[in-house]
Amino acid sequence: MVEYKYDPTKWNEMKGPVVGGRDTYQSTSWNPTKKKWGPFTEKGPAPVWFSEANSTNWVESMICKSKDLFYEAKLNECFEKGDEVAIKIHYGEWNRTAILRPEYIAAIVEEVRACGGNPYVVNDTTLSYHTYNSMAISQYQMEGAIRHGYTDATFGCPVLIADGYSGEDDYRVEIPEGNILKETYIGRAIAEADAMIVLAHSRGHAITMYGGILKQLGIGCQSKRGKYITHLAHWGDPHDAIGWPKFFDKCPGKACIWHEMCDDSCPRDAHKVMEHGKVWNPEKCRLCYSCQVTCMWSGMTGIGFEDMYFPNAMIAHADAALGALKCFDRGKVGYINHAIDVVPECDCFPWAGLAVCPDVGLFAGKDLLAVEEATLDAIDKAPVSPGSVLDEKGGKPGDDKFRIVNGFSPRITQAAGEKIGLGTREYTLNTWEPVLSPENAQKWQIRKGGIANHRPTTVRLRDVFQKHDLATEVMPFKRVDYDKEWVWNEWKKYDPFDGETLDA
Amino acid sequence: MSRVIWVDAQHMAFDNSVPHKLHQLIHTSGAVAELSEGMRVALKINTAEEGYEYGLRPSLLRIVAEAAHAATKTRPIVCDGLKLVDYWKKSMGNLYMQVASARGYSNETLGGHFVINGGFSGDEGDLFACNDVDAELGGVEVGTAVCRSDALWVLSHVTLHPLFGLSGALLNGGFDCLVGRARTRVLDGLNPYPFNGYRPKAEDVHTFQRRALECLQGVNKAVENRVFYINYLWDVTPQPEYFPYSDSPLVQNLGFLAASDPVALDHATYHVLQQADADLAEAVTAKFPDVLRAAEAMDLGQRDGTLERLS
Repeated sequence: MVEYKYDPTKWNEMKGPVVGGRDTYQSTSWNPTKKKWGPFTEKGPAPVWFSEANSTNWVESMICKSKDLFYEAKLNECFEKGDEVAIKIHYGEWNRTAILRPEYIAAIVEEVRACGGNPYVVNDTTLSYHTYNSMAISQYQMEGAIRHGYTDATFGCPVLIADGYSGEDDYRVEIPEGNILKETYIGRAIAEADAMIVLAHSRGHAITMYGGILKQLGIGCQSKRGKYITHLAHWGDPHDAIGWPKFFDKCPGKACIWHEMCDDSCPRDAHKVMEHGKVWNPEKCRLCYSCQVTCMWSGMTGIGFEDMYFPNAMIAHADAALGALKCFDRGKVGYINHAIDVVPECDCFPWAGLAVCPDVGLFAGKDLLAVEEATLDAIDKAPVSPGSVLDEKGGKPGDDKFRIVNGFSPRITQAAGEKIGLGTREYTLNTWEPVLSPENAQKWQIRKGGIANHRPTTVRLRDVFQKHDLATEVMPFKRVDYDKEWVWNEWKKYDPFDGETLDA
Repeated sequence: MSRVIWVDAQHMAFDNSVPHKLHQLIHTSGAVAELSEGMRVALKINTAEEGYEYGLRPSLLRIVAEAAHAATKTRPIVCDGLKLVDYWKKSMGNLYMQVASARGYSNETLGGHFVINGGFSGDEGDLFACNDVDAELGGVEVGTAVCRSDALWVLSHVTLHPLFGLSGALLNGGFDCLVGRARTRVLDGLNPYPFNGYRPKAEDVHTFQRRALECLQGVNKAVENRVFYINYLWDVTPQPEYFPYSDSPLVQNLGFLAASDPVALDHATYHVLQQADADLAEAVTAKFPDVLRAAEAMDLGQRDGTLERLS
């Protein structure tokens, strides 16, 4: 076994205020808080609509059900004709596969437009979460979005970065109600919208344990400044490592094969690998997670987090979510959680683990916390997927899955959010089961306003075949003479089960 | 003495089509000489307002974008700022993109990432000093797509301009690269739509011209003078692209001019238009030589140059 020699991490003491701090920026800035903002549910349990992730016919298509839920949950009433409607999604990291399929987003864009809204799809830039992060720079993020199929052409509306070219196009929102945060910064394309429909991919998250619609508001709507604040950058003392990375005395220095990537990981040159150990300047650090993710996910143990960081960050991101919600009048934000590909980590990771459970379904409503709580409960009740990290950790159906997978219960965020007025965790679950009928079968198959018009495709083909009946022209097709032996027995030679049939 | 290359629109052939001519222009002018692998190049273009129907075809811009891509092995940024005045109530970022998309301008067609210079609000930018001792503005805020790039190529659709005289390298590479609120400040109350009977005062126009030239100083500083200019003499209309309409072009298409000196380039452009008997009698445009003279006095370039015509 190799015995590493190292020097302990050097701690530089803080020297006065941070240069470039917020004292010099927007100290008395615009505050777009709406006068009529507030949680949608003021009393009693909130209605949440659910449709399971299974389809056996036209009406049960997940896309059709997401359109049904849009109307059942009255998300069409979140905006009026002519409103600018931001569709908030996560664009997904480069090389990420577990993301929302473009069809889910296109489906809602179509219905927003059908109801008279003017939709545009948005996501903010991120911080540099790891060395080769592609979401921190807008054009990198758009390149990844296009690769995922998130384009103007697939959605039928503009696909934009909400906080500008560099992640600095934002509004400051004051949140005196916050448990920890008292201000946040929201991307302009979101803050200036009349209404917002949030389409979230429900899955795990390394920092907040779980990420769904609340995460979309608490981090996804934040500009770079907003994300730094939510990360709790420079909160507390460097030695506590709440607002800074935690440096352990286990860094092997240049003996580590990852040391060059580790040096490259900081966008502010806040740390440097030495022959033995690492030198770090906390004044420069803004807690973007890049060094931590680079070290932790490469299997090394030199940089990490203080354990108590996570619950505090979870509570902070509930505060930040309130900042985003305050940019809209009450009832102007609708939510759909897609509990599909419920993987352990965030869409900002450039990989995807096995899902912790089978696909659960869709959850829609106008109360943020109620939709989130219903989603979490259903995920927890679901079976455990074999081979997943949850399976490896011994998780069982009914367990708090993301607590086992990631360390803390997502209910911390929920409880914090309820305290500051994000909504109610009480909900009544309305299960949506579409009725199989001719009317419903054609309801979402016919693309109104699209190339496919209001007639069945088969009827349209009658016109085509009258002009050019391609099958008749080439009949009879070339093939062997008809032989009953082929029909009854010969084909069985190609079947590994010798033609044995199973009961349907 | 500055060198201006002009590839005209004559003698079209299978091996001398518009794409061939643009490639020749880029090759002969040495546009890519200053570029190296990994550099982020911003291409500042003009996007047409709804109602203006003579915008440059995307393919004319794409050829240049592909040349920048080939030189840097990095996909360039193609950008323009939000329209200054909300003429059709469409100055929000999403509506701007819808209008541009309807003109065929997209990531897919332009050969680079098409973004708003200044973000969704059009106001995302950094402040750069105008280095003239007599500068009125002190500094200007340059949009992020431009000021965060390693080099800037200014691709200008040449038209007449009711305030500046000629919309070309000097205006598109300076004033048009600013964030929206900075452009409003530069205009200082001057209405950029002098039609329907409105006529700005001559002294206000002169003040704007002076300030617009100062903007170029700020942009040059933002990209550390790594700027190259191409003027498209293609559908040269009496109105610039931000107008919600346009009359027919003044002259036949004359080709493309390029230089690294914006003063020499616009001077040559004006000369080529005059030689083609373009009607430049409009009051402001007729005095564009005064703007060129002022630009030279501000060390933005020199009017005297060699004009090399390729056909």
